[in-house]
Amino acid sequence: MENSRELEIRQQIDAYVKGQLSEDEIQDLWNEFAKNPHLLEVLEIESGLKSILEEENKPKKASINVLPSWTWHAAAAAVILIVALVQLFKVDTPTELNQFLVANIEPAQIETADALRADGVNLTEADSLLNLGFEALISGDEDRALELFETVINNHEEEPYGSKAYLNKGIILYNEGDYQEASTAFQESADRAENNRMISEKAYWYLGNALINIGELEEAREAVFEAYKIDGVFRTPAFRLLQKLNYDLGKYDYDDFDTQQLN
Amino acid sequence: MGMDYTKFVGAVLENDEAAIARHVKIITAVLIKFLRVRLGVSQQDAEDCAQNTLLIAIEKIRGDKLDNPDVIIHYLFTTAKHEYFKSLSKDKETNYEELPDSHFKPADQLSLLLNKERISILKRCISALKPDFKKYIEYWFANAAYETSVVAEHFEISVSNAWTKKHRVINLLKDCYEKKIQL
Repeated sequence: MENSRELEIRQQIDAYVKGQLSEDEIQDLWNEFAKNPHLLEVLEIESGLKSILEEENKPKKASINVLPSWTWHAAAAAVILIVALVQLFKVDTPTELNQFLVANIEPAQIETADALRADGVNLTEADSLLNLGFEALISGDEDRALELFETVINNHEEEPYGSKAYLNKGIILYNEGDYQEASTAFQESADRAENNRMISEKAYWYLGNALINIGELEEAREAVFEAYKIDGVFRTPAFRLLQKLNYDLGKYDYDDFDTQQLN
Repeated sequence: MGMDYTKFVGAVLENDEAAIARHVKIITAVLIKFLRVRLGVSQQDAEDCAQNTLLIAIEKIRGDKLDNPDVIIHYLFTTAKHEYFKSLSKDKETNYEELPDSHFKPADQLSLLLNKERISILKRCISALKPDFKKYIEYWFANAAYETSVVAEHFEISVSNAWTKKHRVINLLKDCYEKKIQL
C-alpha cells in the first residue's frame, strides 16, 4: 500500500509534468527520485502519457488545395520585385556597439578545480573553495559565491587560484552590472594568468566587454586585442568587436590582425 | 524499492565491489535522466558525466568526506551539473559564430525520458485501458490547468477519489509498460 509521502510525491510529479513547479520544487522532487528511483518510472509514464494525449488531441491539418503551376511563377516574380524594391529604397542602419557585447556571462565560464578526477589527485582547500563557489552560483546564491571567491583571493593568491578567483569574481560582478569593479577583477586575473592561455583569454575578453560598458573604449580595444591574439574560442567575437571599436574610434588604418583567418 | 545511501557508503568503505556495482547502477540511471531532462544533455554525454560523477563521489566517500545521505544526493546532482559545464567549457568547438548572448535556463525536457520505441509501447498500453479509465485520464491531461476539484466535479467524485483514480490509471499503465518492455 502506498504511503502518504509517496502520494504527496506523486502529486508533485503530476504538477511537474504540467509545468506547475518552481525551480526549487523541481530540485526537491529530483532529490526524492534519488531516494526512490522507482518513482522516476511514474514520471516517465506521466510525461509520455501527456505528450501522447496532446498529440492525439491536436487539431487535424486542413486539407491542401493544389494551386495551378502559373500561380507559383507569379508568386516568385512578385517576391523578386519586392526584393528589388527593398534594395532600391534600403537605408543603412548603423550597428550599435552594444550589439557586439556579451550581455550576460554563462556559469559555464566559471573556473573551478582542475583535478576533480578519481586519479589520486587530492583537492586543495582553494580547489574546494572554487568548487563551492561554483555550486553556490548555480544554486542562485551569488553573494555566497562572491564570498567564497574572495576567500580564495585573500588566502590563496598563488597560481592558478588567484587568477581563477579574480576571474570568477569579475563574472559575478559583470552579471550584476557592476562593470567598474568587474573590470578591476578581470584586470587582476589577466595580470596573474600570464602563463595560462585559457584564463588569460577569458580575462582579457571580459575585461574588454566590461570596459566598453563604462565607456573606456581605448583601453577596451587593447584588452580585446589581447584576447584576439591568444587565438582561442573568443577570436571571432573579438575580431568583430575590434572592427566595430576601430570604426567608432576612427582608426580605419588599423590592420594588425589577420582578417583572412576569420573568413 | 528505495535507494539506501547509508548502505552505499558502507559498501564503498568496505570495498564490497558487488554492492558498489549494484548501487552505482541505480544512481547512474537517475543521474543520466537528471542530466537529460534538466540540462538537455545528449545520452552519450549524460552517461560520461554520470560515470565521472560516481567516480568522484566514491573517492570523496573513501576520503571520509561524505556520509550523510542528503549531502550525498546534493553532491551527486551538483557534481553531475559541474561535470557537464566543465565539459562544455573545454569544448573548443563551441560555436561562437554568434556572439554569446544572455544565459537562460530552458524548460525541462521531459520528452527526453522516453524514446520512440517506449512511446509506442506506452501507446499500446493506453489503447488497452478500459474506456472509462481512458476517458478519465484524457480529461485529466486535457484540463491540466484546472484544479483537481474541477476534474472531481466533472466526474462527480471527491477530490481524494479523483487522485486515487488517477494513480490507479497510472499504476495500470506502469504495470502494462513494465511487462511489455521486458518482452
